[in-house]
Amino acid sequence: MNAVIEVENLSFSYTPQRTILKDLSFEVRRGGFLAIAGPNGAGKTTLLNLLCGLLRPKSGSIKIDAAPVESYSSRKLAQKVAVVRQEFVPVFGFTVAEIVSMARMPYLGLFGFESETDKEFVSEALEETDTAQFASRPLYQLSGGERQRVFIARALAQNTAILLLDEPTSLLDLKYQVGIYDLLKTAQLKKGKTILAVTHDINLAAQYCNEILLLDTDGSYHIGKTKDVLSPEQIEKVFSVRIFAGSLGQEKFFIPLGKFAKDSYLTANEPDSSEQKKS
Amino acid sequence: MTDLLTPKRLTMRIILSLAVLAAVMLVCSLVGTQKVSLKAVFAGPGNEPGQNTDYEILVRVRLPRVILAALVGAALASCGVVLQAILRNPLADPYILGVSSGAGLGATIALLSGITWSFWGGSPIALFAFAGAITTVWLVWCIGYFTGKLQVTNLLLAGVVVNAFFTAVIMFLMSIAKSEELRSTVLWLMGSIAEKETAVLTASAGCILTGIAALFSICYRLNILTLGEEEAKALGVDTTKTRVVAFGFAAFVTAIAVSLSGLIGFVGLIIPHGVRLVSGPDHRQLMPLSAVIGAAFLVIADTIARIIIAPAQLPVGVITAMVGGPFFLILLAKHTRKVGWLK
Repeated sequence: MNAVIEVENLSFSYTPQRTILKDLSFEVRRGGFLAIAGPNGAGKTTLLNLLCGLLRPKSGSIKIDAAPVESYSSRKLAQKVAVVRQEFVPVFGFTVAEIVSMARMPYLGLFGFESETDKEFVSEALEETDTAQFASRPLYQLSGGERQRVFIARALAQNTAILLLDEPTSLLDLKYQVGIYDLLKTAQLKKGKTILAVTHDINLAAQYCNEILLLDTDGSYHIGKTKDVLSPEQIEKVFSVRIFAGSLGQEKFFIPLGKFAKDSYLTANEPDSSEQKKS
Repeated sequence: MTDLLTPKRLTMRIILSLAVLAAVMLVCSLVGTQKVSLKAVFAGPGNEPGQNTDYEILVRVRLPRVILAALVGAALASCGVVLQAILRNPLADPYILGVSSGAGLGATIALLSGITWSFWGGSPIALFAFAGAITTVWLVWCIGYFTGKLQVTNLLLAGVVVNAFFTAVIMFLMSIAKSEELRSTVLWLMGSIAEKETAVLTASAGCILTGIAALFSICYRLNILTLGEEEAKALGVDTTKTRVVAFGFAAFVTAIAVSLSGLIGFVGLIIPHGVRLVSGPDHRQLMPLSAVIGAAFLVIADTIARIIIAPAQLPVGVITAMVGGPFFLILLAKHTRKVGWLK
């Protein structure tokens, strides 16, 4: 068996009235790249927090390297799983090098002084993410895209087999979105990292991820290869939005259509399409 | 990568700052209305007590006072650093979780009730202040725990509410007090460094230095805790344990400092910020350097308080704010670039 993450009959709820995740079962093979998508409130971030041991399941189990998550100490788990969250506000002006070197925490002694090996991991992560140029600058001086690269550098310096990311590109422009996914894909292919990324961008997921877990708000879910799971019908059903689907060579793409979309074919029957034309 | 802290660099900086502190302590103990000659001091106490006045003044009067000022300064500055880190709040100071009002209430009760007995050379005021401080922090801790599992906001709000309540009780007690009791209470609340028995000084030094050493041992975890609860947990930090150690020792050390000297403001807030501007935010360096600089700062402030209107003395809290405020503003103006995180 080559599964590095095994989730079995996982259920979770914050309040007894509303279950967020219901009987969820899936596996992620070593070196896989899984996208986790779904509407707001479907439990994507909750699932991420369960996987990194921040929350405990109400029922079911999560295994990492064949051992239950709760059997790991927080230090041991941090040697296996690195997490990149949505942007946080930095306090007290730590530099990029200091922030990235904090990734070595699970390997360091009481006073946290880095060995040469630790410093090599940090340098390598800074180089790989093209952030070495900012190393001595305080984090707050960087732009959103640069910061996100720093957080990914930190996750890489942690040298874990598994990377969990919570909407790593939500605040970034198109160039940085692709740049971040290029970086992650390189880490997957070159270093054999297993990557799970929560994302709202199904197009990037279709392009970069091998598999996708599509969560719905009613607790149902679909998992499989991205090309199988991502169909216009499936996306329309889960997100309750009309979708225009197309393909470009081997890449599929999906565009959500709002009620003001100016596509004559799709909007011909809309009541306000005539008004659109007049104006 | 060269700017990461190394043990060698840290040790060098601590030794250097300790040398500065020693020089400050020596110079300040020589300063005063009565001139003291070092040469005469080195001649020793002489055969009878009181034979060598210079020795008596320096060793028995000034040095204990300078040491006390250094201990209180180190305690307040290092606890300020720790509380700013765990509360992720640049406005935090050692008194933020109720230590001040608790100690104030304890001292006010002792002063107004006219208790005269002493315990192991310690005045009842100090003991009441210590008990008040510890009880209040425990109360704030319990409120914070039961309302929100020690979330930062709950702890801060609990601290604010308890502080306000106890301050009201202090004001009530003062409003019904006699005028001479009122004056001594007000003076205590202003904070002052006065000579203490050697036994008290030794015991306090032991407690404060142990507390600071314990706080130093979690400094690397404090760095990571400033990233936030979830980030710190994901990096393998036991956040609850770190908080318990931080709050516990910071409260203990602050309570001792307050019971020794009353409420000296400003040191615990400004010294951490000043040192951070120069040394950077790494707590492994910031905490010990703040302790040493805080010690030197309070020694200087107390010396000024002692001589500026001699033979009378000013409460040292007046000097810490009057001297420390402008000095901090100069530092802030010089390093504005470094405080972008305050925006």
